[in-house]
Amino acid sequence: MGTPAVAVVPDGDLIARYLAGDELAAAELVRRHATALARFIAAHGAPDDELEDLTQEAFFKAFRALASFRGGASFRTWLLAIGGNVLKDRRRRWRRTQVVELTPEIRDPSGDPGAQAEAGWTAERLEEGIGKLARLQREVFLMRAQQGLEYAEIASGLGISEGAARVHYHHAVKRLKAWIA
Amino acid sequence: MDRMNEELPRGLRVALDALEARAAKRAAAVDPERVAARVLERLRRGGAEAPRQVWWARPAALRIAAAVVLLVAAGVVVSRAPSRAPGAVRLEVSISAMDSLSSGQLEAVLQAATEVRAVADSVLPTSSAASLDDLSEQQLETLLASLNGAEG
Repeated sequence: MGTPAVAVVPDGDLIARYLAGDELAAAELVRRHATALARFIAAHGAPDDELEDLTQEAFFKAFRALASFRGGASFRTWLLAIGGNVLKDRRRRWRRTQVVELTPEIRDPSGDPGAQAEAGWTAERLEEGIGKLARLQREVFLMRAQQGLEYAEIASGLGISEGAARVHYHHAVKRLKAWIA
Repeated sequence: MDRMNEELPRGLRVALDALEARAAKRAAAVDPERVAARVLERLRRGGAEAPRQVWWARPAALRIAAAVVLLVAAGVVVSRAPSRAPGAVRLEVSISAMDSLSSGQLEAVLQAATEVRAVADSVLPTSSAASLDDLSEQQLETLLASLNGAEG
């Protein structure tokens, strides 16, 4: 006999509860989506010391705009799109302050150092390539390849057509393939 | 993600796996409870807080910045047609426009204005008698967007 299944409250219900004044519902939404959002932001090349701040900023903006959330995309996709906007603003600041190194390399003390170095180099190279993509290419690529979202969902979250999402993804893959070759 | 990964060329897939492993490690340092607490605190404190705007996006500053742009554009016109002398107009605009700027804002506007010559011709109305009133809000936005550069 297995553990009894725990009913998961849908995001839509939590959103409705938060809009009705239930702060605990907002906290639950953060718990549920913070890690995915932070991974998405990290893959964009955000520096470690800004990762939590960027995550917090995206949630803050999302909750403030929650009344306008129509549910065309899932809450997570909508949140990722807001995260992309937060990053766009922050990138301007990075450019102004001439931040070159966005992420320090993280090394795992266990495992094969040679393989780690190779993986670290590959990850850095891809991260650099992602940073060179046009904004929509970058967001569509990460939403699809990293977050595993369907084109229709990505299109809805970013306010573009499904065809456009496919085109952006195709271009991103083509450019990144050439970049890391 | 695995199914999506199958669409990718092998080299890119390997790189993405490495990047994702690193992103996951870095994301693990983000504490959802702490994020939730801070977000809720900000919402309680400033739920109605006005969105922060960069100074040049405010309507008044927008017009002031555009005024400076027009001054530079007027300089372009003057250099092409030396018989015209719009100095009086330029003085009037500059006095009324600059009064409300801090020295830092003024410096930033003037710095931006030095870069405008290349874009002014394509954005501004062709008439040499163009004034701020001739520009719509959208044209002002376009003008400043041109100064601000394309977004990557």
